[in-house]
Amino acid sequence: MSAATPTAGITPYAPRIRARRGLSVGFMVIALLAITASMLMLGALIVEIAVDGAARLFTDGSATVQEVRGETLIDLPTPENMNWLAWAMPVAILLPFLGLRVVRSLIADIPALAERAIGFATTLPVAVFVHILYVRFESAYYIEYAKAIGVDGASGNIFQLFAEASGFQFVRLIVAGLILPLGIIAAGWFWSNRLRRPSLLLPAIATAAWVVYLFLDPFFLSSYPSRLPAQAGLFSAITGTLYMMVITAAVAFPLGVGAAIYLEEYARRNWFSRMIQVNISNLAGVPSIIYGLLGLQVFVRVLEFERSVLAGACTMALLVMPIIIVSAQEALRTVPPSMREAAYAVGATRWQVIRFHVLPYAFGGMLTGNILAMSRAIGETAPLIAIGALTFIAFLADSPTDDFTVMPIQVFNWVTRPQSGFHEIAASGIIVLMLVLLVMNAAAIVMRQRTRTDW
Amino acid sequence: MARNFFTVMRSSAPTRTASPASNQTPSGQVTAPPPNMKQDAAAGVGVHLDPNLEAVRHDFTEEVETALQLRNVSAFYGSFQAIDKMTMPIPRNRVTALIGPSGCGKSTLLRCFNRMNDLIPGARIEGEIEFEGRNLIDPNVDAVEVRRRIGMVFQKPNPFPKSIYENVAFGARINGYSGDMDRLVEDSLRRAALWDEVKDELDKSGLALSGGQQQRLCIARAIAVQPEIILMDEPASALDPVATLKIEDLMRELAEEYTIVVVTHNMQQAGRVSDYTAFLLAGEERVGRLVEFGPTQDIFTNPIDQRTEDYITGRYG
Ligand SMILES: Nc1ncnc2c1ncn2[C@@H]1O[C@H](COP(=O)(O)OP(=O)(O)O)[C@@H](O)[C@H]1O
Ligand SMILES: [Mg+2]
Repeated sequence: MSAATPTAGITPYAPRIRARRGLSVGFMVIALLAITASMLMLGALIVEIAVDGAARLFTDGSATVQEVRGETLIDLPTPENMNWLAWAMPVAILLPFLGLRVVRSLIADIPALAERAIGFATTLPVAVFVHILYVRFESAYYIEYAKAIGVDGASGNIFQLFAEASGFQFVRLIVAGLILPLGIIAAGWFWSNRLRRPSLLLPAIATAAWVVYLFLDPFFLSSYPSRLPAQAGLFSAITGTLYMMVITAAVAFPLGVGAAIYLEEYARRNWFSRMIQVNISNLAGVPSIIYGLLGLQVFVRVLEFERSVLAGACTMALLVMPIIIVSAQEALRTVPPSMREAAYAVGATRWQVIRFHVLPYAFGGMLTGNILAMSRAIGETAPLIAIGALTFIAFLADSPTDDFTVMPIQVFNWVTRPQSGFHEIAASGIIVLMLVLLVMNAAAIVMRQRTRTDW
Repeated sequence: MARNFFTVMRSSAPTRTASPASNQTPSGQVTAPPPNMKQDAAAGVGVHLDPNLEAVRHDFTEEVETALQLRNVSAFYGSFQAIDKMTMPIPRNRVTALIGPSGCGKSTLLRCFNRMNDLIPGARIEGEIEFEGRNLIDPNVDAVEVRRRIGMVFQKPNPFPKSIYENVAFGARINGYSGDMDRLVEDSLRRAALWDEVKDELDKSGLALSGGQQQRLCIARAIAVQPEIILMDEPASALDPVATLKIEDLMRELAEEYTIVVVTHNMQQAGRVSDYTAFLLAGEERVGRLVEFGPTQDIFTNPIDQRTEDYITGRYG
């Protein structure tokens, strides 16, 4: 059969198998080399960025605000005083656990309800305690801050603080003042309900967020661009990005999903639908700068949106549309034909089948695709430069027709400045951008797992 | 409107136009019976339904109304003809089994009854299927309406990934049912012999049930829209023997209120559950034809066509 002569102890097939194995080892080595090399390069880049960026993004925990900002502003209580709060979470987790242990050793059979009650009883005081401490700390902080920036009548009243705080500070108040105590309560609840994994995961995340928060320099995220690197911040870029993403999603998602529904559910398989399909794939490969030029002509000039958030969002919507369409089509295809048949068989019209069955079952997949498309859009710079997004925005966009900037453009601008201070904050900006991307992609993965149906 | 009474024949009845007549050539000469006819068809004298002398009907001993009357029904997938000129009745309030080897067009025929083949691009039906005086193949007849009145249960249980309650209620809801939904759901589940097993967990996902329970849920779902006919395509082929037995019992019970057409691979099953049996066979060119139709007992104990006997005795693959 084979040309190889059978030798003792070796079947005639052996040479072919060995040859194939040799080949696969070769491919493996190449793949490993490629992966290692790219990982190393990426790692080096990340380390470099992190070292640079950390200088601006984080305080060392003991530095006062004035040191970080390079000028005397006010003498604020430092987050350092609050470091011990980072331990509140692990303690809060241990408490219901230990409490239950103790109670169990005393009483043999505890009813399930009592178990929960014990969980609550042990975590609730800790949560309240943490919350009160936090509010007192934050009040002192903001009273000083308010005095320094000349707000009159600042008091320790938490509601007034909420009223005076704005933007990022407001978020901080909410996050730290409420999320942490609630996280502690949730941990106790999960634990006493024997949901061990979330009970550990939630507090771990909250604790990590808390630690980051303690060391994060809030002013980098809450300041406008400045000609002084020490005072420049990402605030207008972050809000600009958020604003643009919301509009982009609002435009691209319905259009893209609609197109996918048409192609999958309505279009007949003929040359026309095939042509559309091929061109969608082609559009996904068009360089993004081309979309920028298209946006410049169509949205900025012809439709006279000017260099606004709206023009940028529409351009981005075009750019990500192919991704959304293709992923929505894939999501629709995962709905088995048997589901459609089942719905048709009880007398559903085509639209009812789509509305009540196909769409709901595919929606998770569509959202996942949408998040991935958005994370592509968030990093795109070229098309926005083409339509003329600005880099120095010292105000927040109020309406879709305002000027705007986004994170990658801000970073790009800082990188091109000659002063090294700007290079450092560019690195900080990149870290923020990467964190946002990481969170979005993680959300997409989680959502994909969550919404998967095993048919 | 006049109902179709399709047989009143007994073996002694004078309407017995039977084989001798159809074996006459136009010139009046009596020829030998076609080669596929059993030569010694002594007891059962058959009546040929179609001019090809292929489909054979036994004489009926009971008087039944027809729910569906097929006349020269052919089905095509693009240029491929899957079934050819089938003519037969589907008796009302009886279980009719479609049997035959794989690929002979059983599913195709079944899917013609509720216009399910409309959903397949390129699929086409010819001929006439009379349902309450209308030809339901007619493009002017609303397929959605047809499917509401002729329900279907599929080979693989396919409950919606929704709650048990929603599974049953869906069909009624989209068809504008305005009565008491809770009662309809309970009633449908009872008739599908599932109520006692799921009454405490109607919120549970239909997918969380066992295979047999899922299939009964699908039957409940079909019943909930109050159809006249229920089509079942090998409803038990994916189930274990115990679950299969339950489905078979259910079919017998349902036949009191509904007309049931069931495709089955399983001879014993056809023998156990059906009142009437149609035997389909695909020839060389893979075109499915009706070979023999009649009361199940006659088909099984006394088939007229040689090929039917071969199939029933297991001489086909
Ligand atoms: N969707 C389809 N497209 C093209 N041919 C089909 C399709 N479905 C079935 N067929 C063909 O029609 C014939 C009958 O199929 P089917 O009705 O499924 O047979 P059965 O149910 O008796 O096994 C087979 O030759 C099969 O290959
Ligand atoms: Mg079949």
